[in-house]
Amino acid sequence: MRHLVLAPVIASATLIAVLLSSVNVKAADEDTWQLLQKAAVAARALSYKGIFVCQTSKQIKSVEITHLFDGQNEFARNVILDGSPREVLNHSGNVVIYNPQNEKIIIEKRRGQNMFPAVLPMNLDAIKVSYTLRQAEMERVAGRPAQVLVLEPKDALRYSYRFWVDTEYGLLLKSVMYNHRDEVMESISFNQVALMNTVALDWFKPKIDHSKSYVMENEQAVIANSDAAVDWEMKSLPAGYRKVDQMMRKVHGKTEPVTHVIFSDGLASVSLFIEHVSKQAKIKSTQKNILSSSGNTNFYTHINHGHLVTVVGDVPEATVVQIANAVVFKKTN
Amino acid sequence: MSEQISALMDDEIAVEDANRLIGSLHSSKQATEAWGEYHLIGDAMRGNAMLSKDFKQNLMQKLDMEPTVLAPKAAQYNSQKLADLKDKLPVKWSIAASFAAVMVVGWMALQQQVQPESGAPEMEMAQTEVMDQAIPNEYLSAHQASAPSTSSYYIQPVNYAE
Repeated sequence: MRHLVLAPVIASATLIAVLLSSVNVKAADEDTWQLLQKAAVAARALSYKGIFVCQTSKQIKSVEITHLFDGQNEFARNVILDGSPREVLNHSGNVVIYNPQNEKIIIEKRRGQNMFPAVLPMNLDAIKVSYTLRQAEMERVAGRPAQVLVLEPKDALRYSYRFWVDTEYGLLLKSVMYNHRDEVMESISFNQVALMNTVALDWFKPKIDHSKSYVMENEQAVIANSDAAVDWEMKSLPAGYRKVDQMMRKVHGKTEPVTHVIFSDGLASVSLFIEHVSKQAKIKSTQKNILSSSGNTNFYTHINHGHLVTVVGDVPEATVVQIANAVVFKKTN
Repeated sequence: MSEQISALMDDEIAVEDANRLIGSLHSSKQATEAWGEYHLIGDAMRGNAMLSKDFKQNLMQKLDMEPTVLAPKAAQYNSQKLADLKDKLPVKWSIAASFAAVMVVGWMALQQQVQPESGAPEMEMAQTEVMDQAIPNEYLSAHQASAPSTSSYYIQPVNYAE
């Protein structure tokens, strides 16, 4: 009798417990994302100096980094310590690379994004759509205790990542990217790192080699966001990827510029190139596809309605092929 | 002279020396060139990589040479190459602690890093190295110029021809 009375109480208590635990799971989940968010901020807002090692299937390079945040602007100088003495200077996202090539030093400009340890975007919303995040064990990296966070894709269209986040300061100490076979595609990890207590900027300049001449890399004519005469459209993008940029790239010696569209899922980027092919080439090369890869970069090109469609990205093969196949040309000829 | 010009630009030279140096900038060809060069370094906030003029022809030739559908990568993979690669991988990453002492606020972290013993699969590097030559440099460098991957800042994806 007593049991019968208690049954609904127990049932409802169980129900409440289940509800509470799901709320807890949700809250714990949110806490984990907060750790990642902290890592995104710490990489930009802390001032630090250290040496990290970057390793891909091709090469290993040690890099000395000095990073300063003065409250408004970020300054970072990366000196590649192995091989050619390349330097990468970053002033709040404006990246200039000093790249020794034989007797010259080529000066290159890049968009400053995802430079280690600031590999994560400040806004994680896009990543939350396509990846799940969980906390794994604690590990020691560069003499610092770190919480391991595992970022796993919800589908096969992107790689997975592990992030080692300093438990005290939130700085990203190590980042590893894995393919679907759990093989390391790219690993970047501090060997040593220390916070800096200075606002001096005397270090923020490249070491100048007086025996060499400095030249800007070939200026390219990029026509921003030209929407004119679009004879193609994207049918359906792979899940989670969205267009982040589009430009026309003037190709030297060509009358027609190449359309360059960039897609991203928040972490990985893919480039799509579309250009007309000459009639001669068209006849010779119809039905030909090339799919190839180098390190973590995949490449796919094919001819579609008189256009050469090329996709390059640091994403799995399936993603580059899907993006190439999503291009649909409007029938004009 | 070059050092002086560099110092002038960095504001690290006495005023009277600066006047003399600026005077000589106008008379010396070498000095004028150096001046221009250093300003170029300072002004290097524009410009991107350019697709080389022959890139499409090269690609079309490659398309012609390729079979219609490419064989799977695995078939082409040279297992000896992988074995060699594995041998080259470090068991430990050790960087000599010759790194100059940094003024430290909170924490000192001069411990060398040793591979973690547990957890994630370790340095089994991926096997997708095979067709390195197959990605045309022009597309790869154009991609990296506008959407660089993290490692591309430190490890050059492209061997620039020149």
